[in-house]
Amino acid sequence: MELSESVQRGLQSLADPSVFDHTSFPALLDVSFRSLLSSHADRGVLDQSELKQLDQILLKQSHTAATTFILEAVKQNADKSTISSCLEELTFSAERIEIFCSTYQKHKKELEHLLASIGRQPPHVNDVSWRLQYHMKNGQVDKVNEPFYLISMNTESKGIPEDINFTCTMEQLQDLVGKLKDAAKSVEKASQM
Amino acid sequence: MLLVLSEEHKEHLSFLPKVDVAVVAEFGRIALEFLRRGTSRKIYEGAARKLCVPVEMVQHGVEGLMFLMTESSKHMISEVDFLDSVLVLGFVEELNQILLQLYLQHHSQIRSVLSLLSSDMPAYHNVEWRLDVQLASRSVRQQAIPMLTLRLLLMRGHDGCTDHSRVLQTDPSTLLHLISTLEAALAAMKTKHCALRMLV
Repeated sequence: MELSESVQRGLQSLADPSVFDHTSFPALLDVSFRSLLSSHADRGVLDQSELKQLDQILLKQSHTAATTFILEAVKQNADKSTISSCLEELTFSAERIEIFCSTYQKHKKELEHLLASIGRQPPHVNDVSWRLQYHMKNGQVDKVNEPFYLISMNTESKGIPEDINFTCTMEQLQDLVGKLKDAAKSVEKASQM
Repeated sequence: MLLVLSEEHKEHLSFLPKVDVAVVAEFGRIALEFLRRGTSRKIYEGAARKLCVPVEMVQHGVEGLMFLMTESSKHMISEVDFLDSVLVLGFVEELNQILLQLYLQHHSQIRSVLSLLSSDMPAYHNVEWRLDVQLASRSVRQQAIPMLTLRLLLMRGHDGCTDHSRVLQTDPSTLLHLISTLEAALAAMKTKHCALRMLV
């Protein structure tokens, strides 16, 4: 994993027991994971009692370095040996590496989820609702007498729901279902390969 | 059902007996063309000049014909009802027959033109799909997420060309859910068939 100079320095401070002792080290780790996973940015995240006596600038540098390292590890899907060897190079003790790895394992899935949700995607279809109606007449034509469907595709884009509404005749609905079934068949075939 | 023609309408159509039967047939053709494509002032002027009558008279005559045709087609009135409705105009039998023929030959076409006017909801046209596997994104490098990209093509009544195309995405399990929901929708049509028959 490639890390910038400042991140390396921040992590080296974190590894140093004379800077971060055995209470402040796990506290900062905790804080780092928490600040990544919480949905609101908390200005007071570093105001922990265990971290009060540390030099505040150093604290911030280490916090930034830790969070950057964690995100990079999740992004690259780094395994335990990669993380361990990386931290070893940065003078972390075996004990601290173990603490880091176990905390990382605990939160890895959630972080992956978080990172995967960032980015542009087309609206995601969640559900479809339908209504069968009978068209008798309208302002322009009398005696239409045709059944038709009102389909509503419930989609969501970045948490904002949107409905796509359209009408279709029975033949058109059969066409739509047929094509969706083709797609499902291709998914099944692909999963068997 | 009988058509009730307004006084103004009857007055406009009163122009027709004054000209040759061939001219009425020609007006009929013009009226239908106008229903399909829209009116054109030049044609009115050309005809007015040839017949030596004011342009308004030609225009009213053709418009009267157009309205007679659209109203009859809208209500799908029968042959007998059509003849009874035009009887009130006091035309000669030959003229009535010409109007009837015009109606019978073109009423389904006119109905399809009229039905284009009433579309307000987008209608399904087609769906294209693609199976993709997402391997990575800017924020995550190693992924293997199967996803289905759909392109839904919808059409808005008037010009019959695809107006609306939406790119959507879904996952395999949602796809199966969509299929089963829509199949249930199709099945609903079959069970209600008897009820529909009774309505008609």
